Amino acid sequence: MPRSLWTGSLSFGLVNVPVSVEAAVRDRDLHFRQIHEKDGAPIETQRWCSEEDVEVPYDEITHGYELDDGSQVVISDLELQAIEPRRTRTIDIEQFVELDDVDPMYFDHPYWLVPASDDDGAVRAYRLLTEVMGQTDRAALGRFVMRAKEYLAIIREREGALALSTMRFADEVRDPKDVEAATQKAHKPAKKELDAAVAVIEALTREWEPDKHKDRYRSRLRKVVDRKRKGETITAPDADKAPEAAPDLMAALEQTLEELQSARA
Amino acid sequence: MPRSIWNGTITFGLMRVPIKVHSATEDKGVHFHEVHAKDGARVNHRRMCSKEGKEVPYKEVARGYEVRSGEYVLLSKEEIDAAAGRQSREIELEEFVAAGEIDPIFYDRGYWLGAGDDGADAYRLLHDALARADRVGLGRWVFHNREYLAAVGAHDDVLTLQTMRFADELVGAGDLELPSPSRKPDPREVKMAGTLVDSLSDTFDPGRFHDSYRERVLTLIEAKARGEEPELPDEPEAAGEMDLAAALEASLKGR
Repeated sequence: MPRSLWTGSLSFGLVNVPVSVEAAVRDRDLHFRQIHEKDGAPIETQRWCSEEDVEVPYDEITHGYELDDGSQVVISDLELQAIEPRRTRTIDIEQFVELDDVDPMYFDHPYWLVPASDDDGAVRAYRLLTEVMGQTDRAALGRFVMRAKEYLAIIREREGALALSTMRFADEVRDPKDVEAATQKAHKPAKKELDAAVAVIEALTREWEPDKHKDRYRSRLRKVVDRKRKGETITAPDADKAPEAAPDLMAALEQTLEELQSARA
Repeated sequence: MPRSIWNGTITFGLMRVPIKVHSATEDKGVHFHEVHAKDGARVNHRRMCSKEGKEVPYKEVARGYEVRSGEYVLLSKEEIDAAAGRQSREIELEEFVAAGEIDPIFYDRGYWLGAGDDGADAYRLLHDALARADRVGLGRWVFHNREYLAAVGAHDDVLTLQTMRFADELVGAGDLELPSPSRKPDPREVKMAGTLVDSLSDTFDPGRFHDSYRERVLTLIEAKARGEEPELPDEPEAAGEMDLAAALEASLKGR
């Protein structure tokens, strides 16, 4: 059972549902510790004062912010705490939106929301909100404060529970207008090309099966560790050869379709 | 738009689409550095050998994977990088799936794709074909010595790439302890909640939401720069027990 990262209440209108925030992602990465190669001893990080050349105990550390002119403003923990928003224990639903209207680019980190109280009214309110959002394909937007930072969150029904995702703010998503997207008329594909490309895509279309896609990096890294443990030498595979020049679009599409058809026959 | 962070080729079948990858997001959070409170000097992090008590130069640092308590298998950075697989400049779209089938929970980081050199026609063709078929292409992307599962799709005028979380990294709802209410919400409650959701519904306008915490941190920094003193916080209020139907009714009355 994952432990709660946050507890508080979810409120919409005058309804308050005690909820806790739980992790929706588990870290499966292999983690390494820094080791001094010479003697195999773990490396410890120490904080040293750049002026006095002495180690600085943790309680003597504060926060510095460098201004544009190079001068520094020092901000203490207490001062940062003082600007934390007052209602730190509530997720206030400010509005509901059509889930499809929200670009996944705004989704940041996913969590689950679970009822944090056995109070029957509260549990029923959680069910009620889950059902209503699921039936209407709506998502709720609200704000909450976790670990001294305010987040915008999107809450929606997923697998019969409430999924919460923190969101990026509008100015944290870059405007793609400066990306070279070849929108000039001259690059518009001919109908024949577009039809052929769509045919290739459709021939290669499969059901989305998330379990089918494995983290090959993680398993290779595990293998590297195992081989090293047995005393083997590890060398990196060669780089791929430089890619060939792009052939004629239509010829490539036609040949791809032919190959896909003969593979199926 | 800042410079691209990766250049390469997307392939599907025999098609080759030269592309440039740009980050679609940026962290606007306010970051501080550590300072020694006493003298305002920067704090540096030093790598110290726990046996010798001496600082360790970066080139003498190995990565240790703990196989038993206190027992490490040592790997060099190059050996870890070997796990990236082939250093490929290609993203091969191996299959396509319906765009709406992938839940956003699978999306990790987002990127905008631009057309690479001599690739404008192929870029447009892939974009328009994905948009018309309403599909995203799935492939593997090797970036910074790590292989990612990536989804390539059409977004308005541009192609996007999203790195993806693997299914075994996600906690399912089945892993949660969800209490059941003694009775299901009754039709009156469902109707009232539906009305409440409707009355609070609006179009999604990301520009409406500002990072007010970030704004407060920046205001605090400015005030401190002028030598002003900040205020102290109030205590948060606690929530009590509730009567669901009454709360729904009262919420609707207020509208």
